[in-house]
Amino acid sequence: MKHAKAGRERDIKVFSCPKLGNSLEEYEDASAHRHTRTQVGIRVAVADGATESSFAKLWAVLLAETYVRSELTGAEFFDRLTPARRLWRRKLSGRPPLPWFASEKAEQGAFAAFLGVQIDAHKNRWTALAVGDCCLMQVDNVGKRMRVVETFPLQKSSQFTMSPYLIGSKSNDESLNERIQISNGNLRDGDMLLLATDAVAAWLLKQHEDGRPLWKWLYRKLGTPESFAAMVAYGRQHGLRNDDCTLVRVIHHDSGVEAKEG
Amino acid sequence: MPYQAEISRKNPGCFVFLIDQSESMEDPFGGGEDGRRKAEELATILNKLIHNLCIRCAKSDSIYDYFHVGVLGYSADSCKPALDGELSGRSLVPISELATKPLRIEERVKKSDDGAGGVMDQTVKFPVWFDPYWKGGTPMCAALKEATRIVETWCQEHPKGFPPIVINITDGEATDGDLVAEARKLTAVGCDDGSVLLFNIHLSSTAGPSIELPSSGSKLPDQHAKQLFEASSTLTPFMVARANELGMSAAENSRGFIFNAQPLHVIHFLDIGTRPANVHLR
Repeated sequence: MKHAKAGRERDIKVFSCPKLGNSLEEYEDASAHRHTRTQVGIRVAVADGATESSFAKLWAVLLAETYVRSELTGAEFFDRLTPARRLWRRKLSGRPPLPWFASEKAEQGAFAAFLGVQIDAHKNRWTALAVGDCCLMQVDNVGKRMRVVETFPLQKSSQFTMSPYLIGSKSNDESLNERIQISNGNLRDGDMLLLATDAVAAWLLKQHEDGRPLWKWLYRKLGTPESFAAMVAYGRQHGLRNDDCTLVRVIHHDSGVEAKEG
Repeated sequence: MPYQAEISRKNPGCFVFLIDQSESMEDPFGGGEDGRRKAEELATILNKLIHNLCIRCAKSDSIYDYFHVGVLGYSADSCKPALDGELSGRSLVPISELATKPLRIEERVKKSDDGAGGVMDQTVKFPVWFDPYWKGGTPMCAALKEATRIVETWCQEHPKGFPPIVINITDGEATDGDLVAEARKLTAVGCDDGSVLLFNIHLSSTAGPSIELPSSGSKLPDQHAKQLFEASSTLTPFMVARANELGMSAAENSRGFIFNAQPLHVIHFLDIGTRPANVHLR
């Protein structure tokens, strides 16, 4: 995966940590990021394969990769998943015959939560598209206390459930259109965008609600896979649900400010 | 807070099914309109429950042992493990073994969506672990005693795990003692995370509307149903929420009691990770 050239190289960082007790091979989250074709923007996606579905990692990867390689930012993105679905099926059909239970489970398809964000560095805007409970959190860097500007599509830790509506690898079902969430917002120089899968998003929001926000730490201290693993380990002792955890941190730099500074 | 323990391969959950194989199970089910006996209904329910548990635990090309499952049958004067074939005599079996060792796998044809707005016939595998059987009296208290012994051992071996769930499927007429008293002894067993839960599925010969997860026994049609309701555990808050998500009507004081209905949702009352809301249960 290439890092974005728009903005500084260091400004997108991806952190991941598998569910405690699971191996890295069983990790079912995915993330991807890539330039927009015009080079002035970045597309970032996270997807979270559902535990109770089979071959979910593959589907999560395909969703995230399809988004960052696309130019679509609206609901029409979900109408263009046919190649990804075909690839998911092809990968499965290339395997040895499955036992009855695995075959029946695979027949249901894989499911994943999805969040895609396009950031336009010239217009200082973001546009987000989501189905399920992966979450975007925008935090500003003005003054001493970092302020939460926006959270999308969920706003409170209590809104996360164990049975979200998810994107399936077999087809879009009839109620998908009602479940697609779209939002956009403005960015200021130095804003932090966090894209997170459900467990870590819910916990970060809960810490914020309880008056113990981690935004500053995430902005200034989080740097290595080890520091993320340590945060997750601490979190699991303090209410973070044991699940795969993925966090993508983007620090936005206004290209106009950069030009002036340059 | 009790009933919070995570279910994982390292810390699996435990289901013990108690199944009534007494002579009265030969009688028609639910008023006899569809010509089925209660024993046949019970076999269908149990095979579907095990089938669905296998599907829940299936993961890519394998199956994860999130659950261990026991089946005790009670009939005539005895209570004994009811799984047969390669699993004969075993009181608790990991789900992966159940999945790979059914009595037989039948092929059945079901109607399914053809993807173009039509319907097509699809051949599906239908594993069978259990055939209908009935004989003699109803030693339900003996079954509860044996279940108590099994879950005591389980809780000693898994002190940090989610408490076992015992699901009794019966037509409700115990012939060997005080059902409610034995149920209390069973649900007094526990581990660090809470007490054993007992759910009762009542298959009645009485016709009438099915009742799921009631908070009170007042609308139940007979004394047997009321007694089984009395013996049933209150659902945990997670189970109430999950039941509502699955379209069942459950409230804070709902009990794990179902009258003349398919109890397939019950196995989804335990959390093993994110479950897509848009996967419909069979």
